[in-house]
Amino acid sequence: MQGLMLRSMQAYLRGTFGAEVWAAVVREATLPVDGFEPMLRYGDGMADRVAQAAAQVLNRPADVLWEDLGTHLVTNPRHEGVRRLLRFGGVGFTDFLYSLEELPDRARLALPDLQVPDLVLQEVGPDRFCLTCKFPIAGATRILGGVVMAMADDYGALVVIDYVASETIRIDVPEIRHTTGRRFDLAMPGA
Amino acid sequence: MHGLMPEQVLLWDGAVLDRFMPMHLLVGQDGVVERAGPTLSRVFPGRALMGSEFGDLFELRASGGAASLADIMARGGRRLRLYPRDRVPGAVRTGMRGLAMALPESGQVLINLSFGIDVVAAVRAYRLTVADFAPTDLAMELLYLAEANHAVTAELRGLNLRLDGARLAAEEEAITDPLTGLKNRRAADAYLARLCATGVPFGVLHMDLDYFKTVNDSLGHAAGDLVLGEVARVLRRQTRAEDCAARIGGDEFVLILAGQTEADHLVAVAERIIAGVSEPILFEGQVARVSASVGIGRSIDHAYPDPALLLADADAALYRAKRAGRGRAALAFDKGSAGVRRPVNNVLP
Repeated sequence: MQGLMLRSMQAYLRGTFGAEVWAAVVREATLPVDGFEPMLRYGDGMADRVAQAAAQVLNRPADVLWEDLGTHLVTNPRHEGVRRLLRFGGVGFTDFLYSLEELPDRARLALPDLQVPDLVLQEVGPDRFCLTCKFPIAGATRILGGVVMAMADDYGALVVIDYVASETIRIDVPEIRHTTGRRFDLAMPGA
Repeated sequence: MHGLMPEQVLLWDGAVLDRFMPMHLLVGQDGVVERAGPTLSRVFPGRALMGSEFGDLFELRASGGAASLADIMARGGRRLRLYPRDRVPGAVRTGMRGLAMALPESGQVLINLSFGIDVVAAVRAYRLTVADFAPTDLAMELLYLAEANHAVTAELRGLNLRLDGARLAAEEEAITDPLTGLKNRRAADAYLARLCATGVPFGVLHMDLDYFKTVNDSLGHAAGDLVLGEVARVLRRQTRAEDCAARIGGDEFVLILAGQTEADHLVAVAERIIAGVSEPILFEGQVARVSASVGIGRSIDHAYPDPALLLADADAALYRAKRAGRGRAALAFDKGSAGVRRPVNNVLP
C-alpha cells in the first residue's frame, strides 16, 4: 500500500503541478530515489515524509494534498480502474459505503500481501455515517475522505464530510439521488 | 428431531423466484418453457421464452456429446452444461451451467442457470447490470477480481518495462567507452564472438593513432581527449548501425563491419578513416595533428573464423602498415606490395 500511495502521490504531483515541482519535492524530502514503484515496499513514514515535503514546496497543508489525491484517483480518466473497482461495491451510494468494510478483503484477493487500512462503517443516525480508518500512514484517512467525496459525486449523491478525529470521517448524506451520477457498465471498457 | 419433521411444501410466487433465481426456467413435461427468469430474456433479446421449446433455445452438452433434457433427466444427471442457440453478433460464445430438478407430482423440471466463468464475457455480450444477478451470486466478486487482476498485471508490466529500461541503460553503460561514446573492448569482443558464432562474414579494422603521444605531450591531455573525440566522430561517420566501432585501448580502435569482406571496399573505408583522422584539429588556438595506421582482417580468410584469429590477423596487418610508414592501411594475406597500400596523406608533421 505504501508503494501504491507513494506512486499515486508522485503521479498526482507530477501530472498536476509538473515535473519540476516533483523534482523539488524529491530534493526537499531528500529521497534516495527520484520515483516510486507501486509494487515495491517502502519503509513506514516515507509517504508522510513525501507529503510533508510536497506541502512545503506547494505551500499548502499535507492533509489537503492527500484529500485531493483521493479525489484525483477516482475522477482522473487515467485511473478509471480505481473508480470501476469501487463501483463494484454496490448499486447505490449507501451500498458503496457498506462495501468499504469489505474492501481490505477484496484487495487482498487481488494482492495477497497488500497492507490495507482497516475500515469500519457505523450508521450513527439517519443519513449519517462514521467511517474509521486505521493505518500507519497519517494521510490514509484524508485519501479516503477524498475518495468518498468523489464516489458520492459518481453515484449522484450529495454528501458532507467532516474529519472528526485523526482516524474518523463523519459522512452526512442529505440527498442520496442529487444527480443521475455517472454511468457504470459491468463490462470492462476496452478489454 | 430434524429428520422426523414432516416435509413442508414451499409455494413460491413468481416474483420471489425471479429475485432468488433470475436465470431460472420451468420446463413442462412436453419440453416447452412455462416460465423464465428476467435475466434469461436478456440472453434472448426479442424472443418470447415462454412457449418456446427448450431444445430450440439451448444446446445441451453432456458426457458423450449433445443430449436432450429428457435424456439427461432419464439418466439421472442433473448438472447441465449448455449453450444458448441465439448468438449476439460479434460476441464470444458464452456457455452456462446449471442444475435441473424434477418437481414432484407435476413432472415439471426446474432449472437454475449461471454463467459460471463465462460471466466476464456475458456481461459484455448481453449488457448485464448488477440488477440482473441475485445478490447472493458471486458474479460481482468474479468481475471485480478479473478487473483487479487486470490492473495488477498492468502495474507489473509497467514495473517490468521500467526495470528493463534501467537494465538496458546499465548494460549500455557497461559496454560504452565513456570518453568517446564508442563501444568498449568488452562490447567489441562480444560482437565478434556473436558474428563468428552465427557465421556472418565480416571485416575487422584495427586502428592505431600515429603521433598521438606527441599531441598529449605537447598540448596536454585535454588536447588528447579532444583528438579522441574527433576520431570517434570520424569512425561513427564510416559505420552503419549494425557495425561496431570500439575504443579498445588508449589510442587503439577496432571497427567491425558485418557482411563486408571485399578487400577493395575495406581498404577504401580504412583510407577514408585515415584521411578523416588526419584532418588538423584546432585546440585552444593550436593545431593538433595525428594520423592513423590500419590493419584489416577478413573472416573469409579462415574456414573457421574465431575472434582471436581475426584480431591477430588485423594486428599483424597493422604492424606491417606501421613498418611501411605511417598513415597507411594494410590487408592481412595481401600479395600485392606486401599488403601495404599507398599512404593516404602527405601532410604529416
